[in-house]
Amino acid sequence: MFLGVFMTTSTFTDNHFSLPPNATLRTITTIHQDLLEFVAHNDATVVEFAPDSQIDISILQLLEAARIYAGTGGKAIVLAKPATGTLLDTLRRSGFLEGMSNDDANFWLHQGEIQ
Amino acid sequence: MSFPDPIAVFRTEAAELLEQVEAGLLDLNVNLGDKDQIDAVFRGLHTLKGSGAMFGFEALAAFTHHCETAFDRVRKGEVPATQALVTAVLDAKDHMRALVETPSGDHEARSEYLLASLRQAVEGSDGNASPAAAGPALTLYKIRFSLPQNAMANGTNPLPLLDELRELGECRIVADRSGIPSLDQLFPTDLHLSWSVELLTAQPRSAIEDVFIFVMDEMELEIAAEQASAPAVTPAPVEAVASTPSAQPVSEAPAPVQPPAPATAPVPAVVPVDAKSSKASENVRVPAEKLDELMDRVGELVIAQSRLSQLAGGSGDLQLRAVSEDVERLSGELRDTMMVLRMVPVAHLFGRFRRLVHDLAHETGKTIELVTEGETTEVDKSVIERLADPLVHLVRNSCDHGLEPPEERIAAGKDGAGHISLSARQQAGEVIITIKDDGRGINKERVRAKAESSGLIQPNASLTDQELYQLIFQPGFSTAQTVTNLSGRGVGMDVVKRTIDALRGTINVASHPGKGSEISLAIPLTLAIIDGLLVRVGSGRYVIPLSAVEECLELSIEEDMRSRGRSFISLRDSLVPFIRLRDLFRTGTKPDPFQKVVVISTGSERVGLVVDQIIGDHQTVIKAMSKLHHDVATFSGATILGDGDVALILDVGHLVAEGQQQEAHLRAAG
Repeated sequence: MFLGVFMTTSTFTDNHFSLPPNATLRTITTIHQDLLEFVAHNDATVVEFAPDSQIDISILQLLEAARIYAGTGGKAIVLAKPATGTLLDTLRRSGFLEGMSNDDANFWLHQGEIQ
Repeated sequence: MSFPDPIAVFRTEAAELLEQVEAGLLDLNVNLGDKDQIDAVFRGLHTLKGSGAMFGFEALAAFTHHCETAFDRVRKGEVPATQALVTAVLDAKDHMRALVETPSGDHEARSEYLLASLRQAVEGSDGNASPAAAGPALTLYKIRFSLPQNAMANGTNPLPLLDELRELGECRIVADRSGIPSLDQLFPTDLHLSWSVELLTAQPRSAIEDVFIFVMDEMELEIAAEQASAPAVTPAPVEAVASTPSAQPVSEAPAPVQPPAPATAPVPAVVPVDAKSSKASENVRVPAEKLDELMDRVGELVIAQSRLSQLAGGSGDLQLRAVSEDVERLSGELRDTMMVLRMVPVAHLFGRFRRLVHDLAHETGKTIELVTEGETTEVDKSVIERLADPLVHLVRNSCDHGLEPPEERIAAGKDGAGHISLSARQQAGEVIITIKDDGRGINKERVRAKAESSGLIQPNASLTDQELYQLIFQPGFSTAQTVTNLSGRGVGMDVVKRTIDALRGTINVASHPGKGSEISLAIPLTLAIIDGLLVRVGSGRYVIPLSAVEECLELSIEEDMRSRGRSFISLRDSLVPFIRLRDLFRTGTKPDPFQKVVVISTGSERVGLVVDQIIGDHQTVIKAMSKLHHDVATFSGATILGDGDVALILDVGHLVAEGQQQEAHLRAAG
């Protein structure tokens, strides 16, 4: 099967949740299940993107959902590094960077405020 | 919670898209100026490219992009549609299928070759079409759109749509994330985002609609236009953010975008485009194997119901009988509903022959026109699947051997273009599929000579035309003088015969020298459950498919004695041959005093079957014969009766043929 040519599973150490190199619709179901379980069992989650990872809009949506879930459960979720490369490009292309709130800018770009 | 495999969904969608593209190309080939077909092909290619990229089929997306670009140029009037272009894209479409099915295969060389052909086809076109006129004044469009929730799962990637909007002009795009649920409520392949866009462009509204052209029917799209005297959208700072090193404060980025002030009052030009969305959501795609599974369950239910009926009938319990009758009614209705679910129109099957004929015309250098009729005729899906191969052989045979080359046709006073018609219709419990051509017809003398030389018949044997034509279905039988890569090895017709036999169908051949031939396949509408007539012969019980039963008569001992040696009954002034099943099955029992004759038919041929008793009608769940009994021609299957006994199902086609043969021999004997 075509799906087997790349690593599809996320990896976890301490409170770090590392996304697989392919974080797209093809793997989003597995990532969703893993992240949901991880956030449920950790008070703080640090999400790490793989270098040069393949991403699409589904992972942006998933992380936004994770922010809501963590927020309502009194938990914290952050990105290990501010968005760069393909992640930043996908944020831009999908219209996430326009109209960002402070919280959004803090989460995605590690910026306190976006003008 | 289980989610559908997005890759499997994409493959299914891609297969359908490719079929649509092929149909569009073949229609376009007939009328090269057909704008609707040009748009349809473009849309199909565009969707396939976008979906392919979305699901990681990069090679497919990249390859399809070139074909899409070619058609975009045709669409814009930059190059004309030509037959060379249609042929190149048809070939490319086959390659796209391979890229969908085996994306990791080695396709590079083939891709290069096909793209070179495509380039040649495009460059070979006369590119004198006038470029688009200069656009009107700049217009500010305020666009709001949301895609259907299952858009991503169905292969629509929003990012290329947004990119395309950006290509139209200066653009500010804001994602509305308010619809995203919490992680524990999220269905991760669903799309919960919507967008608002401000676009300043000289392009017309139709250019914006074109961006969404392949999702238009299922999305919500509002476009409000405002005239703008000058570009009012400042360069989006997102570009700067995107290139800003992460360590750099965002506050150092250029000034943020301010929505442009409207130059005039907004024009109320909102275009809601969600009219068909509710209709689309009424359809549910179900894997074929689930239907098969359901069919098996219904079959078992019918058998259990039959047993219940028998038990209830033998008991004096009125309440049990009432319940049994209710169950019988309900299971009958369920069976009928199930049968409808399995029925698919033959259009799907016929569609593929347009391409086949197109390719065969190209290979043989003949001009061939294919006409299809009765595409809405519905047949059980398993029958459709199994009919594909025999029809391919028959159509190939007609194209290669039936139709003459143009010069021969013209010399014979015919139209230079050969005609093949493929039609379907329902008749009683059967679907009749007919392949007809206006070619040279079957050469009876050559068939006879070949049959004699290969020992199939004795020299000068007396055969009816139908018997003679049936010889062409013998394994290895071919009258072709040359073997081409299309046909002539005598394999194809054998496949036709074996498949149609396995489907409990019959083949009828008609031919007129110089005028053409006609082959009709009569196939049962369903292979799963039939209404049968349960009869007894000796101590065994048998099922006759009810759709083949014309009438039942009584055969007295006297009449039986009178007809000995002739085996004919007079039925409304015509003699109908009959077969004594007791003799055929060698039951070794004495006949009942009042035997019955069940008259069955296929097409215009009739034969009577003499049985000891007619028990009644019976819903028959057909079970295949074991491999050991696969060659027993008299029976087409078996079924389990209510009391658990097995009854064999009579093969009507075979028995009618046997009866007719018996009649012919008796007539020949005087």
